[in-house]
Amino acid sequence: MRDYWLSKLFFDLQSPEAAARYLAGRDAVLERYPLKPEVRRAVQEEDVATLAPLVNPYLLRFFFLAIGKSEAWFLERIRATGSAAGKEVSGG
Amino acid sequence: MARLVGVFASSHAPLLARAWESVDASRRERISGTFAELGRRFSESRPDIVLVVSPDHWVNFFLSNLPSFCIGVGDAHDGPPEPWLKGVPYRSIAGHTGFALHLARSAFSKGFDPSLSHRLELDHGFIIPLWKMAIHPLPALVPLIVNSIEPPMPSARRCLAWGELIRVAIESYPEDSRIAVLATGGLSHSIGEHDMGRIDEDFDRECIEQFRSGDPEALLAFLDRRMESAGNGAAEVRNWLLAHGAARAQGFELIGYHPYPEWYVGCGFAAWALHGGAKVANAS
Repeated sequence: MRDYWLSKLFFDLQSPEAAARYLAGRDAVLERYPLKPEVRRAVQEEDVATLAPLVNPYLLRFFFLAIGKSEAWFLERIRATGSAAGKEVSGG
Repeated sequence: MARLVGVFASSHAPLLARAWESVDASRRERISGTFAELGRRFSESRPDIVLVVSPDHWVNFFLSNLPSFCIGVGDAHDGPPEPWLKGVPYRSIAGHTGFALHLARSAFSKGFDPSLSHRLELDHGFIIPLWKMAIHPLPALVPLIVNSIEPPMPSARRCLAWGELIRVAIESYPEDSRIAVLATGGLSHSIGEHDMGRIDEDFDRECIEQFRSGDPEALLAFLDRRMESAGNGAAEVRNWLLAHGAARAQGFELIGYHPYPEWYVGCGFAAWALHGGAKVANAS
C-alpha cells in the first residue's frame, strides 16, 4: 500500500526549488507532511529499504536524485532490497 | 475527412538526454541512425497533427487524481519541466482542440471514459522521441496519457481497443487533416526497483515478434503473461498497443532495437505500414 504523505513529499520535491528548501532545512519541510514517526525517521535516515515498499518506484528514485544522492549510491541500496515485499505493489 | 498517415513507436529513455555520453560512440551512432530513420519516415508522412501516447511521469498527476487515460484537449501545452531538458526547443507546444475533442467524443460514444485536460505539461516521455527524431517545428500535438506508472493499470486488451478507437476517430474527423500516431516508452526496463537497470532482452525480442506476427490474441496473451516480469517500465508497452490497434494490428516493422545497459532500457523503435483491414482482438 502506498503511503500517501510520503508519496506527496517525494512528488513535491521534484521541483528544484522545493528540493533546495528541503536541503536547506529538512525538518522544517518534513513538519508540513503528517508522516508516521517510523516513516519520517526512514526519510531522515535515507533508508531506501524501508521507504521502497511505501512509494512508487519512480518517485523513490526521483527523491534520492533530488537530495543529491549519486546513481551509484541509490543503485547499491535499491538492489540490496532484493525481492522485497514492495514488489507486490510496484510491479507492472 | 482526416486520414491516418503514420504510426510510430519510440522508447523515451531519460538517460538518452541526461547521460548521452555514457554510451560509446559506435552505439550512439547506431541509435542516432535509428532516430534519423524514424524521423525521416515521420516527416515523410507530413502530419498536420500528431497524437502522442505516453505515460505521465508524476508531472501532471498524482495519487490524488490518477486517470487511466487522459486526452489533452487544450490549444497549447507546456514543454518538459525536467531541468535536464531545458535545452530542448519545445517550450510551448501547440495542441489541436478540434481533433482532441473529436477523439474524446468518439471515446464517450463508444463506451470509453477518458479524463480531459485543457493544459498539460509534456514530460520527457512526450518530448525525447520528437527531439531525437529532429522534428522541428512540431505539428499540432494532441497528448494522450496512459497510466503505465502506478498500478492498477489498464489491461492490455483495453489498450489495444483504444487503438481501434483512435483509428475510427481519425477516419471520422471531418477536417481535411493528416494525422500520425506516435507511441512512446518501453521496451523492458526497471526503474527504482530492486532489479533497476535490468533489461529483459528475451521479453523484448519476443514482444517484437508478437507485434510482427499480427496475431492480436497471441500478443495479448504474451503480454498478460510476461509484461509485469519485464520490469516496471515494460508497462509502457501499453502505449505500443494503442499504436498497434490504430494500425489494425498489421504492418509492424522494427526500425531498431538497442538494449543499452548504461541507459537501463531495451530501447525499441517501430513503424507500422498502414492497411485498411481489421484484425483487432475483441474489446472488453
